[in-house]
Amino acid sequence: MFLIDSGGMVRPAFAESDEHGVIAVGVYENEPKVFTTKDGKPAGIFIDILEHIAEQEGWRLRYVPGSWAEGLARLARGEIDLMPDVAFTAERAKIFAFHKEPVLSSWSQVYAKKGSGIRSILDLDGKKVAILKGSVQEETFVRLSESFNLQTEILAARDYAGAFAMVTIGDADAAISNSFFGFVHAKKYRLEDTAVVFNPSKLLFATPAGGSEEMLRTIDRYLVTLKRDRGSIYYTSLKRWMSEDVRFKIPIWLKMVGGALLAFLVLNLVGSLILKYQVNLRTDELRRINQEMEQRIVERTAQLAEINKEQTSIFETASTGIVLMRHRTAVHCNRKFEEIFGYGPGEMDGKPTRLWYPDDEADAIGGDPVYAQMGRGEIHRRTQQLIRQDGTLFWARISCRAFDKDAPLQGAVAIIEDITEEREAEERLRQALEKAQAADQIKSAFLATMSHELRTPLNSIIGFTGIMLQGLTGPLNPEQQKQMTMVQSSSRHLLALINDVLDISKIEAGQLTLSPGPFDLRVSLQKSLKLVAPLAEKKGVGLAADLPDHPLPIIADQRRIEQVVINVLNNAIKFTEAGQVRLSCRDGGDTFVLSFADTGIGIREEDIERLFQPFHQVDTGLARKREGTGLGLSICKKILDMMGGSIDVESRWGEGSIFIVRLPRQTGDSA
Amino acid sequence: MNNRLLIIEDNEQNLYLMRFLLEKSGFAIIGADNGKTGIATALQCRPLAILLDIQLPEMDGYAVAAELKRHSELDAVPIIAVTSYAMVGDRENILAAGATGYIEKPINPDTFVAEIIAYLPEGWKDDGD
Repeated sequence: MFLIDSGGMVRPAFAESDEHGVIAVGVYENEPKVFTTKDGKPAGIFIDILEHIAEQEGWRLRYVPGSWAEGLARLARGEIDLMPDVAFTAERAKIFAFHKEPVLSSWSQVYAKKGSGIRSILDLDGKKVAILKGSVQEETFVRLSESFNLQTEILAARDYAGAFAMVTIGDADAAISNSFFGFVHAKKYRLEDTAVVFNPSKLLFATPAGGSEEMLRTIDRYLVTLKRDRGSIYYTSLKRWMSEDVRFKIPIWLKMVGGALLAFLVLNLVGSLILKYQVNLRTDELRRINQEMEQRIVERTAQLAEINKEQTSIFETASTGIVLMRHRTAVHCNRKFEEIFGYGPGEMDGKPTRLWYPDDEADAIGGDPVYAQMGRGEIHRRTQQLIRQDGTLFWARISCRAFDKDAPLQGAVAIIEDITEEREAEERLRQALEKAQAADQIKSAFLATMSHELRTPLNSIIGFTGIMLQGLTGPLNPEQQKQMTMVQSSSRHLLALINDVLDISKIEAGQLTLSPGPFDLRVSLQKSLKLVAPLAEKKGVGLAADLPDHPLPIIADQRRIEQVVINVLNNAIKFTEAGQVRLSCRDGGDTFVLSFADTGIGIREEDIERLFQPFHQVDTGLARKREGTGLGLSICKKILDMMGGSIDVESRWGEGSIFIVRLPRQTGDSA
Repeated sequence: MNNRLLIIEDNEQNLYLMRFLLEKSGFAIIGADNGKTGIATALQCRPLAILLDIQLPEMDGYAVAAELKRHSELDAVPIIAVTSYAMVGDRENILAAGATGYIEKPINPDTFVAEIIAYLPEGWKDDGD
């Protein structure tokens, strides 16, 4: 007989193996269901039943020992024909075939020391539970405790005995095993079963998928029959392996075994001692590993606590508000954050960030665009008006960033500063600047107006004085002539003052503009010399010129250049009591270099720096004998700066000065 | 011969000063102390040239110059601004407004008449009236 599986492979069925006369049966250690005795003979409830059937049916059995996992693997590969004590699960049903009538029913059960008080799974909260590593129990219990939200510490045990031992020596509060192991061994470990039971399962024989259906049907038929008969091998086996009392109540069995049993018991005792010794060794090892792990946990916990302490102190001492957000809700914030908003400790935790904003519109500003930016991994920054608990508004500088740019809503941190004072200071500064600028404009306008208003009467004074001095109104006697000349001189000085003040105010207001045009510098210099000649003549100071004999074409503001030249010449004459003033002009390529050399009083080194500042005259004081506003040189310097030229001075106190003026051939209006 | 000059100037002393100097040189002076009167007088008596102050009450010198320029019959009449250059951009504005030239205030009595004559159209002495 052949069975064809879905892959089309031909596989020998039970009948064929029977021809060879042997059924391969996996055996592993799971007392009392299936195990090997000390003398290497398979035993246990499943074995008793299987051997009973084999005897009746004429099957020949070959046992293949190994671990539980090895047995299952062999079964899956078809290397063995039958595996006892397999719990039925939907997953296993895909790779194995099972009969229907369960041999045994099993479940997982929690065992603890007597008087532990563990009555339900909830009592395991905060407890240490020892479980066989990689077992069904572990998987199920972890899932169970999670679903009940229990804080249970799982201690991994190498086998059920190890798990029980851990409870016995106090390393664990409870252990989990299958009900059969617990039933037989709990007492030995001074444990008792608790009412915590889960994961019930049916235990069956299994064959490889597509294995012999006839064999499975045969097993079912026997099981039904055996279970019906109280005196059958099924019940005697159960009693034999699961109750010592029962064992000693059967004198016939005792007799049969006789002295052999005694030897067996001795052997068993020795075996137990060895086992116990091995258990102790393993338990010690477990305890040591456990201690190491605990030590490590203690150390790591301390480290974490330290880091946590540092972070908390940074968090709490920060002078800015810090908040951790999730789904636009404040998860946690520091005290400063609450203070900025005027809330008490913890009052903002768990509240939506909408609370921070005065209205929905403001709230929207902190919404999508911000999260989009954080989603690009950037730090978002803005200033915005937020609202305090008492309803007052304040300006805040906000910056925030996502923990993970791919999920900014899942977690982000925001830092908030109350910048109300900063804003107010800025506003005051802005107002002060506006006021100052306005005052400056008023000053300039005032000076311009005053200058005009002063000039109008001055026009008459200068004009009529000139008319009289010209003799247009009739001849003057010498005294009248002298006095009218004084009036004329004074009024001209007054005019110069007014002009200077007007110029400096224009310069300082940035309103002085140049009007460049082409002209001959030599002509301008000659004109200027002619203008100052009367003053030099009057003071008895020589006026010399050293000019080239060809034209000096230049593009510049002629009026302003003449103003500068006349000013420097006048200055030189004023401060020279004897000797001469010499103007020379040199062609310096891109520039014309004018030098004004005098034999006057000179300038002290400490005064040179201040020479070109407004309202500065070298011999200041009540005894001032030179006329002038002290504005002239500063105006000259400003005008030359605007033209891209320069003015410098070389001087020695008492030995005279040389002023050097450089004029670019082509000047723009750099104002 | 047309020897009439119109002076638009609101300051009495300055008007007198310019009148005195120019009359001494043989010109006939018509004075106006505001822009409106000045424009009306110019249209009526066709002066040889117009001396125009810039700071004037109500209608300032710029507006007067612009208004005068709108009358083509005055095209040949030079407008000479007499100004103190008090405000920024005055010079440019005066020329832009239509003035032919300008004389700085305070005037220099020694050269004032010569400066005015320089602005008069060529052959002004020959013009019949």
